[in-house]
This record gives sequence, structure tokens and C-alpha cells, in this order.
Amino acid sequence: MNRSLPFEVFRYAAISLALAVTLVPTLWMASMAFKPIAEWSAAGADLTWWPKNPTLDNFRFIFGTSTSDLIVALDRTAGKPILSSLLSAVFGTLIAMGCGTAAAYGLSRFGSGKNLPLALIQLRLFPPMAVMIPVMIMWAFLGLVDSWWGLALIYGIVTLPFAFWLMKTFFDDMPREIEDAALVEGCSRSRVFMKITLPMMRPALASSALFVFILNWSDYLIALLLTTREWVTIPVYMASLSSSMTGQLYGAKAALGLIAAVPPVIMGIAIQRHLVRGLTFGALKQ
Amino acid sequence: MTSLATPEKVSMADLAQGDSPQAEDGGRRLGFLLTLPAQVLVLFIAVFPLLVQLYISLTDWSPLDGIGWWQAYELWNGFANYTDLMADSRFWSALGRTALVMAICVPAEFLLGLGLAILFMDDFVGKRVFYSIMLIPMMVVPAVAGYMFFMLFQSGGPVNDILSSLTGMDVSIAWLSNPTTALIAVMIADIWQWTPLMFLILLAGLVGVPEDQVRAATLLGASWWQRFRTIVLPKMKTIIVIALAIRVIENFKIFDTLYIMTGGGPGVATETISVYIYKVTQQDLIWGYVAAIALVILVALSILVSLAISRMNAGKEA
Repeated sequence: MNRSLPFEVFRYAAISLALAVTLVPTLWMASMAFKPIAEWSAAGADLTWWPKNPTLDNFRFIFGTSTSDLIVALDRTAGKPILSSLLSAVFGTLIAMGCGTAAAYGLSRFGSGKNLPLALIQLRLFPPMAVMIPVMIMWAFLGLVDSWWGLALIYGIVTLPFAFWLMKTFFDDMPREIEDAALVEGCSRSRVFMKITLPMMRPALASSALFVFILNWSDYLIALLLTTREWVTIPVYMASLSSSMTGQLYGAKAALGLIAAVPPVIMGIAIQRHLVRGLTFGALKQ
Repeated sequence: MTSLATPEKVSMADLAQGDSPQAEDGGRRLGFLLTLPAQVLVLFIAVFPLLVQLYISLTDWSPLDGIGWWQAYELWNGFANYTDLMADSRFWSALGRTALVMAICVPAEFLLGLGLAILFMDDFVGKRVFYSIMLIPMMVVPAVAGYMFFMLFQSGGPVNDILSSLTGMDVSIAWLSNPTTALIAVMIADIWQWTPLMFLILLAGLVGVPEDQVRAATLLGASWWQRFRTIVLPKMKTIIVIALAIRVIENFKIFDTLYIMTGGGPGVATETISVYIYKVTQQDLIWGYVAAIALVILVALSILVSLAISRMNAGKEA
């Protein structure tokens, strides 16, 4: 639109500022994760942007290896919360993608379940906090509280709208000629779906699944309400890491935060082509 | 290329199916089977919880009462929870605070996102890398983002350090302990995390504006601002509405970053509606009352949304 020199200068200046603001919080945490305890809360003139004496002690500490400086006894290590986050997010993604893909295909090809698009948008609309009381009652009744499978079930339901809408737009975009040709050849509908449609949709399935996984992995509130001890996820564990006894365990929390933050950032950048479609429920394709 | 989804394309296959009722039947059965799991999940999470919510909300039930939720009728109190709610000043101020956060964060995210999107419209060296970096904040787990900003806003932390070197004075604001600055801090965290979402969506919209119209207007001597206002903005209308709607809906739910940063404090200075409900649920444990609050919010939101949808439809026809 505009290519004058002052504009170019302004553009790079503005973008540099935006990049700095974007990166500083993340880099501060990354740097904190490698700082020894003496540098954790050094303030004023002693404040260090990069660790002076970089160490892996924070990571060793959260995984239960005692270190010389940190003589705080952890009642549990980060291993189980990481496992809990992984299991609940992976199986939640499988539930959402399984039900969502099937329903999206049913609607896109056979016009079944016409109520679903709106019903699922409404599901997304309401604050989770406003429906959690009955969910907590139901989960307690079904014995699903404080388990990764209970979390996986609610994650699957909460992210079903995204899985459904994403896959629906992908199915709507897919040319039907290939399916029709196979039908003429005498394949059954379900065989066409399994043997032709799904393999063709592999890239779409992969990016939708990653998108849904990021959402599940990012949850804090639901895990806070539905897990108590055994299967707390990373964010819940992280919040419980410091107490009045130990004070703020800055470095340890930063190390854990880094572990939690890196996978979704990499996945998100990998699927950035489809992010707009996912975030707008397929209303906007890029 | 960006395009708005077109509802239900009619292809030759649809017409062909209409000719053979047998194939149509088989398709319908398969379609029913395929949509069944999703339907079951929706019913499971919509109908039963809503009934339980309504039932509990008419009682004084708490999980500490020692009786099951199905026996809550023993603690029946009619509409007392609802009348209490009307007089609950903490509820209303939490609601007002949520509206305030929304009224500041969403426009700020929109304007910053739009500005950045305009800068990213045409090609320049480094665009792809910068674009990927710009998206990072929205991919960071919100609870972790909350913890990042908790560290940044410590009185001996980097924010004060930067302010000190910018002003040349020794700045040591205890951001999260002062009611006003704590609210500012949580809003900054929200704006940091969600401006990229506005940027991403608005950029997709800007790129989708037909170039030939813009070029024609340029030849006719229209200034940048004229082109932007008369050609680009009208074409972007739907996309802007979608982007704003997404942020309004999500911002209303604000919890993770805020709760990690301040826990709603100091006092109730950053207590938004989700934080308030969470505290009543976990600390006061009056679930009957929480159910009433939740239902009021659900009903109010449903009315607002159907109003919005009918207005949008009316706008489309006009």
C-alpha cells in the first residue's frame, strides 16, 4: 500500500517494539529457569537479565533430585503432573476428534445432526465456571474426580466444538468427485469414509488434532476443580509449588512453566496456517 | 486466499443422490450413526447438568451437609438464593469489574492488533519470522503466562527495572499489592496474550480485501486513509465483528492468568465474575448459591446472544 522510506522506518521501529514486548515475558521466564537460587529475586542493581551462573538445578529440583541450595522437601515431583497433563490432553483430544470428525462428516455429507453447529457454539459460549457445579456433582457421582480419564472426558466435551467445526469446514472444502467415483465402483458408504475420505484428510486431521491438543493442554480452571491430589495437571501443580513455608520458588516454577509452554508454542507455529480457521470456528479460512 | 464459508454447497452428488432413494436411506442411517456420539455428549453435558443446576439452586445445599445432592430438597429454600443475589454487592461489583476489564482490554487488543496487521499487509524482509514470533503469546498456556507476569510485576522485578532506566528514577511499585495497579497489571497480561489473536484474524481479513479495488481507488487519487475507510473497512465488517465477538466472549470468562497473578486480590480488587464464582465454590462451599449465580449468568448470556444474532440477521437483510 505504501512504500515510502519514512514508512519503512516506522514499520521496522514499530515491529521491533512489538517483538520486544512479545518476547520479554517469555525470555524472562526462560532465563529465570536457569538461574541459581541467589539470583532468583535479586532486585535493583543486582537484577540480572541473563543468569550469571547458569544451572540446571531448578529442573533437577522439580524432578526430585535434591540440590545443595534448595533444601525444601517437595511432597511430590513434577513427573506425575506432567504425565497427567499428557494423558488427559491426549485422550481428551482423541474423544473430541473422534466424535467431532464423525459428526462433521455426517453433517457435511448426509445432512444429519443439523442442530449440532449451533448447539456446539453455545457450549463454547458459556463460561466454564457457570456450569462447573453440576459437572463436579456428576463427576463425583460417576467416580471421575481426581483422575486423568475424568479430565480427558470433560476435555473431550469442552473442545468438541472446535474439532467439529474445523473438520466440518475441511469436509465441506473437499471435492466429492473421488468419493462419488468410488461409490459408483460399488464401495459402501462406510468403506469410502474409512478407506478414501479419512486417508485424504490426514493433514487436516493432524492440524485439527494439534489445535485441540493445545486447548486441552492449556486448561487450568477445570483441572483445578476436578483434580485434588493424585492427578493434578502441570498448571495446578505449579500453583501449589510454593507455600508460606517455602516462599516463592521462582526458579523451580519457571523451569516447570518452560516445560509447559514449549510444546504448544512449537505446535502452534507448526499449524499457523490453520489457526485462523480454528479460532473463528471455520468462519474464516486462510 | 481468505473467504467466508458458504453454507451447504450444492454439488452434482447431491442431485444424483436425490434420484436414488436407496442410497439416500443408507446415507441417512450412516449419517445418524456418525453424529450419534457427538449428540450424546452434547445431551450429557447440556440437559442433565442444567436440571441439576436448577434443582440445587432452589436449595441451601452444600457438599459439606453430609447428604447427597439428590436429597437437597430437605434444604429447600425456594427463591431465597435469587433474592440474595440481587442484594449481593460483591457479585455486582465483580460483574462491574469484569465489564470494566472487557471495556479496556478488548478495544486495546483490537486497535493494537489492527495496527500491527496493517504493518504486516505487504511483504518486507523478515515478515515470516516476525509473524511467527508475534503469535507466541496466544500459544503460551494462560496459567504459565499468569506466572510470567506475576514475576515481571514483582517490586524488584524487570518491569520496575525497565521503568527505572527509562525515567532515571528508582521505581519500585508493588504492582500486585495495590488495588489500582493490580488491576492494570492483569489487564496488561490479558492484552499481551490476546492481541496476537486480533492481529492474526484481522490480518487474514485485510489480506482478503480485493486488491484491484484498492488499486483502482489509488489511481483515482484516493488517499491511504480514504481507501482504508471506504473500501477496506466495509469489506472487513464481518471479520471485525467475529474477532470482537470472540474476544468479548473469552474475556468475560477471564480467570487463569488473573487468578495466578493476584488470586482476585488484593482484597477483591481484581475479582472478576469467574474468580468470584470460584471462590464461593471452593472456599465458601455454598453450592446452592453458586448454582443460582451460574443460572442467572447463563440465562442473561443466552438472552444477550439471541439478541445479538437477531440483530445481525436483521442487519444482513437490510
